Amino acid sequence: MKFRCATALVGATSLLIGLVIPVGSAQQVSGPVKVVQLIGLAGIKDKAKGTLSVENGHLHFVHGKASFDLSAASIRDVVTGADSQRAVGGTIGMMSMAAPYGGGRVLSLFRTKIDTLTVLFRDADGGLHGAIFTMPVGMADVIKKGLVAQGAHTAAPGESTAVATPAPSRASLNKEQK
Amino acid sequence: MMKRILHTGIRLFLLTVVFAASPLLAQKNKPAKIKAAALQVEMIESDEIKLPAEFQVALYENLIRQLEKNGFSHVYRDGDRNAASVADLVVLHSTVRGFKAGSERARQVTTVSGATSITVHCQFTRSDGTSLLEQDVNGKVRFFGGNLRATYDFAKKAAHVTHENFSATESK
Repeated sequence: MKFRCATALVGATSLLIGLVIPVGSAQQVSGPVKVVQLIGLAGIKDKAKGTLSVENGHLHFVHGKASFDLSAASIRDVVTGADSQRAVGGTIGMMSMAAPYGGGRVLSLFRTKIDTLTVLFRDADGGLHGAIFTMPVGMADVIKKGLVAQGAHTAAPGESTAVATPAPSRASLNKEQK
Repeated sequence: MMKRILHTGIRLFLLTVVFAASPLLAQKNKPAKIKAAALQVEMIESDEIKLPAEFQVALYENLIRQLEKNGFSHVYRDGDRNAASVADLVVLHSTVRGFKAGSERARQVTTVSGATSITVHCQFTRSDGTSLLEQDVNGKVRFFGGNLRATYDFAKKAAHVTHENFSATESK
């Protein structure tokens, strides 16, 4: 009886810790966040892995020796979204497709959830640019909040949902410019 | 006997000449390319279709990149003040007319389902709004790659349409 109670207690505690820790770690951002820049930053190649941080009113992306700074004030919109990617990707993922009896296809079933962060900004000449980042779940909202707090504009101030956030209209982007 | 072979040979030769010449004649009938000193790409509109923001941005960025690759040295972005002073400026307005999100997982597991597709209505105008060309261009990803790859496919096709109908000239 004593043993059963202890087992139940340990189980309940583990469950509680398991539920609380991911939420806590997702909401805290202690330093740069590991991200993948899919497209949009000048001088940085597509799908470049790097770190993203919000410091002194700037969005700061570092990829190896290359870096890109973006003033929060120049940001016209920040949109977060949710997506997923293959757990086993890259060359190994491609090679696994050739595995016999559809073994590679089974690997395709395993996917990890990711957040997407889309940033729309204007350059010195007024030209509109867009950049897309992917990052671990929960991080996009933290970055977005940081950017909004430092002067970035956004059409949807709320947190992201499972459903992808719709694209901002040109009218809203131009209105903010004036 | 020899005469018959000769006649058959002549007929075959004439037939070959006619078939070979038809594409050349068709090319001559093609309308002349419209001269454009520069292109300005407006942000992709999607008022009617609910399009995720990352797709909108990927369409826009890929489109600009592909147009630059296709020989247009001056491709201005939406809102760029420098475009106002260009004489033969062509403005590209793009509106999303259809979007099917698809699923990368379904594509990789089944091969036949889960395709992502986007249909965009492209309208080329002068700065004053005079319409020059209107065409629907679609982007698809059927087998390999993430859903955003459909935006790359669209951009390549749209750049091809632009290259087919417009010739880049030096701005005055």
